[in-house]
Amino acid sequence: MYEDIVNFCVDYASKKVDFVEARLEINRSEGFVLKNGVPEVSAFSNSRGIGLRIIDNKTLGFVAINEFNKDRIKKLIDKGISLTKSVSKIKQEINFSDEKVNVDNYEVKQKKSFFDIHPEEKINSLLEVDKSIDHVNNRYFSLSVNENEKYLINSEGTKIKSVIPRVSIYYLLTLLANKKSMQRYWQHGACGGWESFEKWNLRETVRKEVDEIKQVMEKGKKITPGKMDLIVDPEVTGIMTHESVGHPYEADRILGRESAQAGESFVNPDMLNTQIGSEVVNVSDDPTVPNNFGFYLYDDEGVKARRRRLIKDGKINEFLHNRQTAFELGTKSNGSARACVYNVENLVRMSNTFVDKGDHSKEELIEGVKKGILMKNFVEWNIDDVRLNQKYTACVAYLIENGKIKGLVFEPTIEITTPKLWSSVDAVGNNNEYHAATCGKGEPMQGIPVFHGGPSIRIRNVNIR
Amino acid sequence: MMDLEKIKNKLLEKGMDDVVVHSSCQEAIQIKFVNNKVAKTGSELTESVSVFVAKDQKVAVTSLNDVSDDAINKAIDKIAKFVQCLQKKESYVGIAKGPFKYKEIEGGYDFNIKKVIDNAGDVVEEGINLALENGAKRCGGIFEVYDSNSRMVTSNDVSEEDKATRFYFSIRSLINKDASGHKYSCSRSFKDLDYKESSVRSAEIAKMAVNPSKAVYGKYDVLFDPLPFADILQHVGSSCSIFSVEAGFSFLKDKLNKQVASEEFTLFDDGTMPKGYGSVKSDEEGVPARKNILFDKGVFKTYLYNTSSAKRHGVKTTANAGLVSPNPWNVVLKKGDYSFDEMIKKIKKGVYVTNQWYTRFQNYSNGDFSTIPRDGIFLIEKGEIKNPIKGIRLNDNIPRMLKNVSAVGNKQKQIVSWEVSEVPVVTPSVLVKDVNITSPD
Repeated sequence: MYEDIVNFCVDYASKKVDFVEARLEINRSEGFVLKNGVPEVSAFSNSRGIGLRIIDNKTLGFVAINEFNKDRIKKLIDKGISLTKSVSKIKQEINFSDEKVNVDNYEVKQKKSFFDIHPEEKINSLLEVDKSIDHVNNRYFSLSVNENEKYLINSEGTKIKSVIPRVSIYYLLTLLANKKSMQRYWQHGACGGWESFEKWNLRETVRKEVDEIKQVMEKGKKITPGKMDLIVDPEVTGIMTHESVGHPYEADRILGRESAQAGESFVNPDMLNTQIGSEVVNVSDDPTVPNNFGFYLYDDEGVKARRRRLIKDGKINEFLHNRQTAFELGTKSNGSARACVYNVENLVRMSNTFVDKGDHSKEELIEGVKKGILMKNFVEWNIDDVRLNQKYTACVAYLIENGKIKGLVFEPTIEITTPKLWSSVDAVGNNNEYHAATCGKGEPMQGIPVFHGGPSIRIRNVNIR
Repeated sequence: MMDLEKIKNKLLEKGMDDVVVHSSCQEAIQIKFVNNKVAKTGSELTESVSVFVAKDQKVAVTSLNDVSDDAINKAIDKIAKFVQCLQKKESYVGIAKGPFKYKEIEGGYDFNIKKVIDNAGDVVEEGINLALENGAKRCGGIFEVYDSNSRMVTSNDVSEEDKATRFYFSIRSLINKDASGHKYSCSRSFKDLDYKESSVRSAEIAKMAVNPSKAVYGKYDVLFDPLPFADILQHVGSSCSIFSVEAGFSFLKDKLNKQVASEEFTLFDDGTMPKGYGSVKSDEEGVPARKNILFDKGVFKTYLYNTSSAKRHGVKTTANAGLVSPNPWNVVLKKGDYSFDEMIKKIKKGVYVTNQWYTRFQNYSNGDFSTIPRDGIFLIEKGEIKNPIKGIRLNDNIPRMLKNVSAVGNKQKQIVSWEVSEVPVVTPSVLVKDVNITSPD
């Protein structure tokens, strides 16, 4: 029934404008919140709607519809077209790169459907995790499961159907002892069913994290600030990669389209092939890796997704593109257009961003450090709006002396520029780990599921405090 | 139009103890501009309904935006079964008992909204031209108009309807990548939207920011424009929620009636504020919105509660439901005595910050955080604004900064922005002593 409505939207609008694209999204989700062992609220929701992009005389318009009455749809589309026409004298001319017309249908199957798991069982799963750390002063857990069904068509003939399930959990833990407090907040997420949640083995994972933080609070010493080496484990590699490689390589930022929102980029279009890191640095973004939280096979313009090699041998190799930015920079889209819900336009987004594996064992990375810090994970970070000046503060970290791990250190921090960071990497590990996050961009704000990670990496001679 | 009473009654027939039904219908338009041109128009009509139920102290919520009878009936059947499967929230003690009388929000609805929508493109064009005429080389931003109607009924004799219009304008002017200024304007009626001033001022800041010198670090007095200080205050406001305190998201645990901020700092939450962007007739369980004093001359006076959390803590609701988490409506910092120039003159060694972003907490429970000034940032020496600077970060602690508030301006501005999105904030410029500034090596 809904497909008929989507087809109707495209047929109706096609008669009036030059290009139409309709994206139907149906979302079924459940959420559960536990605070200090108390189930605060449980929720489910169903939403569906159509996001329609139109191009009229090279002006871009967007119409969001969640009322599926054909007469009302006609009125909304007419209103959208009229608004688009009203700004034509100050329009930015919109052109899209020519892309292959795709027709496909794919679904990520849940091995264990989260909708078949009784709500009580889901809450019990949270309660079990909570119980394993009930000595922690404050405990907050938020679990959500979501199945996103999409039907994307455009007036060029593209027709993509997809079903993608996702499960995620966010938690915040507060530990107090000896007038000190520390917090751990983190998110786990995957594309898949309840089997992903079970695989995280959260009881054990969270209990270990709490034990480590207690150790840091008890034994961790503040370091003497200064220049030293830094090894970061995958959790930190991932956030560094996301913030200082993924974001500045988003072509819409580079072209100024996010200027008044999430900012621009220190990268210019003519910086392709510029050396930005050492030769051992290779960074990719790949939405097609199974189970990653940002998984998809076709983007929200119907372009087939593929791996993007953002940095190759330390050189800027490729930006993230949708069809508009690809046209503006004279290239092809690499399938990076994503919208987080039906009623917002697609933007250029990351999916699954990581440093490619190297060939050093973790032990080798550590052995090569005379004096330095091993940052296992982090608690706070931020970066400026052109993605140059960034900061990461460790949650659990260790001192390294003469190639050996010595003791715990308390919340060491690195504040560094992007070129300095990536040009100081001298070795890349052969380990690998990925983490989920929700990335924000656009206005209205679009939080979109992403993955990031990679191996441990060694960064030479940087200021740490 | 959905019959909310019918939904409520069906749920009561299914044995629910407490029921709250909300509906919302919103029309919105948006014009996004980039590099002096309109990059996208947007228009939207959204209808939705949400339902809260409690049964034997088990609590569930659902929302849907397919508001057909069939979809609603299915949701009613589902939530009645869903809630039975849950576990008790022993601390849940019910929702507010009505009926209540409500006051209209003064200046909360602009009956000229259709005309504004028809001329929305002209507003954007005028904003762009003003920025360019005042020195910007390029500018980007957004103009949004919202027309919404929300209704609510509860099983405790509440029936309420609220119509609202909202206008939002953001403009960032740039001379080059290092020199920019960003201003916002928001209002409940179009005549109060000072988009022209925002356009001019964003360009003026961009011009002032040309040729920034290198970053500084160390302790500096920081003069915050309303925009960046609103970012701090939205976190202070949300930290007042008792839910945030219990979950670990707040630095205000055990701080009731203690001197948390300087005597210059008096903060309200005011859900009734005339023309307030976040003003509402009632909270989410139907209690008429009110004004609560959060900090009186620096002393922390109250957490924010709904009926259930208030009973648990032996106090009365502050009319801030959120049925799950109480929240502020409009966070308002009382204005002080200082003009902008007087505050600048007080500063021997300082920094003037016009915008900031990416505020993140190292520890919500003690308030350790950092944030990054963006757009125009200026050094202040011996009572005068000197050269622009770039590349700094404020690394400090919220309660320490609140204690170091040394002057509050005499001109308030209502702020909603890309960064200040949790709760609208009304604040003057604020001077904070000895803020810790860092920069990368």
